[in-house]
Amino acid sequence: MIGAALALARVKLVLELRRREVVFAMLLFVAATIVIVHFALRADEGAGPRAAAGMLWAAVVFTAVLGLLRAFAAEAEEGALDALLLAPVDRAAIWLGSALAQFGFLVVVELVAVPLWWLLFFQEGGPEPLPVIAALLLANIGIALVGTLAAGLALGARTRDVLLPVLVLPLAIPLVLAGVTATYGAFGEEGGGFGPLGPLGFLALYDLIFLALAWGTSEHLLGD
Amino acid sequence: MRALGRPSTTVPLILSLILVPLMVVLAFWWTGDDVDQGFSQKIFYLHVPVALTSYAAFGYGAFCAAMYLWRRDPEWDLRSYVGVHSGTIFGTLVLLTGPIWAKASWGVWWNWGDRQINVFLILFLYYCAYFMLRFSLDEGERRRSASAVYALLGVGLIPLSFLAVRIAETLIHPTVFTSSGAAMPNTFLVTFLVGLAGMLSLMALLMAVELRGKRTAMRVLELQRAARGEDA
Repeated sequence: MIGAALALARVKLVLELRRREVVFAMLLFVAATIVIVHFALRADEGAGPRAAAGMLWAAVVFTAVLGLLRAFAAEAEEGALDALLLAPVDRAAIWLGSALAQFGFLVVVELVAVPLWWLLFFQEGGPEPLPVIAALLLANIGIALVGTLAAGLALGARTRDVLLPVLVLPLAIPLVLAGVTATYGAFGEEGGGFGPLGPLGFLALYDLIFLALAWGTSEHLLGD
Repeated sequence: MRALGRPSTTVPLILSLILVPLMVVLAFWWTGDDVDQGFSQKIFYLHVPVALTSYAAFGYGAFCAAMYLWRRDPEWDLRSYVGVHSGTIFGTLVLLTGPIWAKASWGVWWNWGDRQINVFLILFLYYCAYFMLRFSLDEGERRRSASAVYALLGVGLIPLSFLAVRIAETLIHPTVFTSSGAAMPNTFLVTFLVGLAGMLSLMALLMAVELRGKRTAMRVLELQRAARGEDA
């Protein structure tokens, strides 16, 4: 099951390396989003840590949704999905494999987006890097798990592309709240909340809960 | 499918006809004005029971979704849909009465620092998307499973949102029910409980009526197909 998921994730990453369909678009999108939110907040008049943290997280979440729109695109367009469903693998493996690939795309995007964000907003100073990176990685896991599940649900829908953001964004609100709090805390400012768990613990809890829920329901994904 | 039985409409109808007006009478003529908030506190007897009822309806929808995934009986799918639908209707009422109370009591229509109302908003947005998902899939097994999975995922969102929205702990939302019991006079508590029972009966009534309607529609469809000589 894990082996099948890893194999599927590898296929997706290799395909992406050859075609460069998704990640390149995500990179342009994340840069454009950071710039748009920056101007929307008039952050040129001195971006406070809170505004900067918000910009990063808004951009990451919207970019993740863009990537998710193509989560099952290759399968759906080329009829590979039927073959996959006929193959003797768990449907959970199909879901997990796609989630792994999405996670990989997000990491690649953030490798570019986070330094860019840093450069644009913090010529000197800036947050401690470790908590921000940890929060991003944990949030990537959560959004890849939940988002791929939602993409699987929306697969047969007539309005798939419009539907997916509407399904994913409410699920991502807790992630953004925790991520922004963690980033804000990395500036040495009081982020507040989340009790003994802390925002990072909360993100881990989010990942665990949705991993369990999604795993349990993933056999009902992707149609009959 | 018939094995699940028909939910009664008579009992909830009678109960809601008695309890909802009784709540109004008790709220206006029996309970005194709140020392702190005065007359505006009366909306408590409507707002809070409606909110709890809405959570109950979402919970019921998620429970029936789990039952559907387990048993594969389309009846559970209908019940799950009806649960989420009622939850959304009551949820709309919550989002209407909440700001009215907030304006009267805190002076603002919406308070982003408040936990309860923001958690509710997240959940409401989430379950609104349920209808988009459901109605953009063609009728059949695929639609039923996808709706069920989505309705069930909301169960994870409720506790997580409660944890997440604690960030700005302003404590402005009245915390009436604490671990040491209800912090209000008995007249208030009784009126509140009457209101809660009334709203729950009203929800049961709405769900039973809608379920009947949906079943009849399905039956008509089956008969039409049979009349045309197709396989049902």
